[in-house]
Amino acid sequence: MRASSPHRANLLGLAFMTPAMVLLLGFFFLPVVLTSVFAFTNMSTATGISGGSYVVTGNLLRSLTDEGLDAKTIDALGQSNYVIDQAGLERARAAGVDAKFVAEIAERLKDRSFTSSSAFERELKTLPSRPTRVRDLKIAAGAFEQSVLNVRYASRGEMEAALSHMLENPPEGAIERIATASYTGWTWTTDNFKNLAIAPDTWRIVGNTVFYVVLTLAFNVAVGLFLAITTFYLPPAGSGFFSVLWLLPRITPVVLYAVMWKWFTWEDGFVFNIAQDLGLPAFNYMKGSVASAWTVVILVNGFVGASFGMILFSGALKAIPVQQLWASEVDGASRWQQIRYIILPQMRWPILFVTSYQTLSLLSSYEQIWLTTNGGPGSTTTIWALEAFKTALNNYTGNLQYGLGAAMALVLVAVGLVLSIVYLRLFRFDEMMSKPKIEF
Amino acid sequence: MQISIRNFTKTFDATTVIDDMNLTIRDGEMLALLGPSGCGKSTTLFTISGIHRMDKGQLMFGDRDVSGLPSQKRNVGVVFQNYALYPHMNVFENIAFPLTVRKDAKADIDREVRAIAALTHISELLERRPGQLSGGQQQRVALARALVRKPDVLLLDEPLANLDAKLRLEMRSEIRRIQLETGITAVLVTHDQVEAMSMCDRIAIMKKGEIVQIDTPADMYSNPRTSFVAGFLGNPPISFLSGIAMENAFSVAPIKLRVPLVPQEGIADGTQLKLGVRPEHFGPEGDIAVEGRIAFAETQGRENLYDVALADGSVLRSIQPAGRNWALGDTVRWHIDSKSVFVFTDDGQRL
Repeated sequence: MRASSPHRANLLGLAFMTPAMVLLLGFFFLPVVLTSVFAFTNMSTATGISGGSYVVTGNLLRSLTDEGLDAKTIDALGQSNYVIDQAGLERARAAGVDAKFVAEIAERLKDRSFTSSSAFERELKTLPSRPTRVRDLKIAAGAFEQSVLNVRYASRGEMEAALSHMLENPPEGAIERIATASYTGWTWTTDNFKNLAIAPDTWRIVGNTVFYVVLTLAFNVAVGLFLAITTFYLPPAGSGFFSVLWLLPRITPVVLYAVMWKWFTWEDGFVFNIAQDLGLPAFNYMKGSVASAWTVVILVNGFVGASFGMILFSGALKAIPVQQLWASEVDGASRWQQIRYIILPQMRWPILFVTSYQTLSLLSSYEQIWLTTNGGPGSTTTIWALEAFKTALNNYTGNLQYGLGAAMALVLVAVGLVLSIVYLRLFRFDEMMSKPKIEF
Repeated sequence: MQISIRNFTKTFDATTVIDDMNLTIRDGEMLALLGPSGCGKSTTLFTISGIHRMDKGQLMFGDRDVSGLPSQKRNVGVVFQNYALYPHMNVFENIAFPLTVRKDAKADIDREVRAIAALTHISELLERRPGQLSGGQQQRVALARALVRKPDVLLLDEPLANLDAKLRLEMRSEIRRIQLETGITAVLVTHDQVEAMSMCDRIAIMKKGEIVQIDTPADMYSNPRTSFVAGFLGNPPISFLSGIAMENAFSVAPIKLRVPLVPQEGIADGTQLKLGVRPEHFGPEGDIAVEGRIAFAETQGRENLYDVALADGSVLRSIQPAGRNWALGDTVRWHIDSKSVFVFTDDGQRL
């Protein structure tokens, strides 16, 4: 009885917390956990995401040769053997070979083996009940063919058994090595990160990403601030109109917005025609040159972010008491001095907030780039998030590398996490968080 | 510097707030613009500062017509009701701001700021931020900032409204001291008659965008031109009785009250009149007896305040020195001092 009251209170608290916890786990925590899991696998379209089987393919033989497996073993793996055993006889009967002929094979050739089809077929031709047609003879011979090449084994044990059957005196550890290499499913690995660290592309993409984030951010903040301040000084009716106008990039569906930019910048588009009329170089500005491609990418993303910045900055501006502005005018400050000494210093926190929030969202955004330059020309405007998306979910070769893509995404998550912690410290988030209003 | 407002009209969205106002503020005087909220006193102040523009009329600083000048070029100092200090600057930077934007030399700014800080008694606060100051200290900073560039006129918009009672008393005399020491022309906007009377050389009482009367505090109190002015000045306020003129006297028939209209003759019998009696002119001493019952009694320490309900239901207020105390419900026969009463016509004009 003593404990019942606090106990009930705790359950109530838990009930209040549950929806938040479920949402947090399901939509925030779980994706990160799954990304981390995938990041440490070599999952791809080839491996699938469920289990695989064991099969020795021509490609595998080539890569094993490259890795230095001895030629004799490779040859042996590529060979077909003809072994007259019980299983072969069963297969021959099932394939509809004449029963009398099968009986003769069993009687005369049992337990012999041949290393080539021609030798085996020659031997078969000596039997009295041999079929008259060559095709039937080949079917009969085929029933006894044994090869590991392109045969699917469900388990590692079966593969190893088949290999030891095929190979005479294999080198030390060769069977295990071939069996491991022949697995078609995914395996746990840290190679994704190793490969990322050594790939020369990685650092170029990192450079692109930093360039993109810094410039877009600068555009966001500068234009957002400029718009907020200019509309602040407009009469209310005018400022309302301009606010809506500048919100358009944000409220337009992203695909439509990208298509408009295409019309704007592509061959025979708006800018193209104007440039032509003015005698300036006219080409596909979106993909025609690195500089113009970057300009388009930064503008496309910049205008979306600028409207976000403008809304926040406008709100912060309205929070400055009008008497302060009056006071500064009476004190003799010109419009520019008023902005410089009174308004901008008080915009420090909103600017910091927009900067941090936009860094995080720009780091993980790729949609606009994907829909416009698609990372081109070449991969000059490819940023990390776009590369991760293409690697894992969308590429031309068709082999989607889920594992590598997840590893790239995980890097992004880690960077974002570190930046978030830095920003939260900067904002003194702990001071902003008060104790919960409701006590349980 | 003398400030003149001539034929000033101000309209906000088709509502005329001030219509054809004329006002002259003498050089070196402190003038109060006193009136209820919405009477246009702040509008007048902000028009002098240039924050609001005149729709019609002319504004002269001395011989200079500043009507068309923006506030940046008018050389005025304004103290706002909420002080409007810049929260991101410390006290020094706040005070220095008018000089900084004027691009004065650093050494000059430093000297001027320290001098004005000494005058306003905030020398030890120069490193602090406005958020770390009390209301009174912020008030002093705002005053220093308004004064630092030696403006032609100091404009104070309800400067004491945000202070607690004790500080208000202190800052009242401080502002007056600083104004007298600098000799600056000043305009104080307030709705508090005590502030206006205690701080200013002259008071302009405003009502609905018009100046009703402009006078020294003492003249205004003893010689109000309308019942509005009489009612606005004085604490506790004046009380009014309604009656009619009858044989050269103010008469309230039901209670047989008759106050002779000594200087004013020839008022037609039956004219509706109002009699204003200040609380200090109604009590045990006096010449015209009135009987009533104590309906309200309030002790204020040195004095007691009474409401006396007369037989017809009207009420006369009285203030009496403590000592002889009356209780609620006591019947008293007190007197009105007939030489000190004001008689107004029914529409409020003084006879």
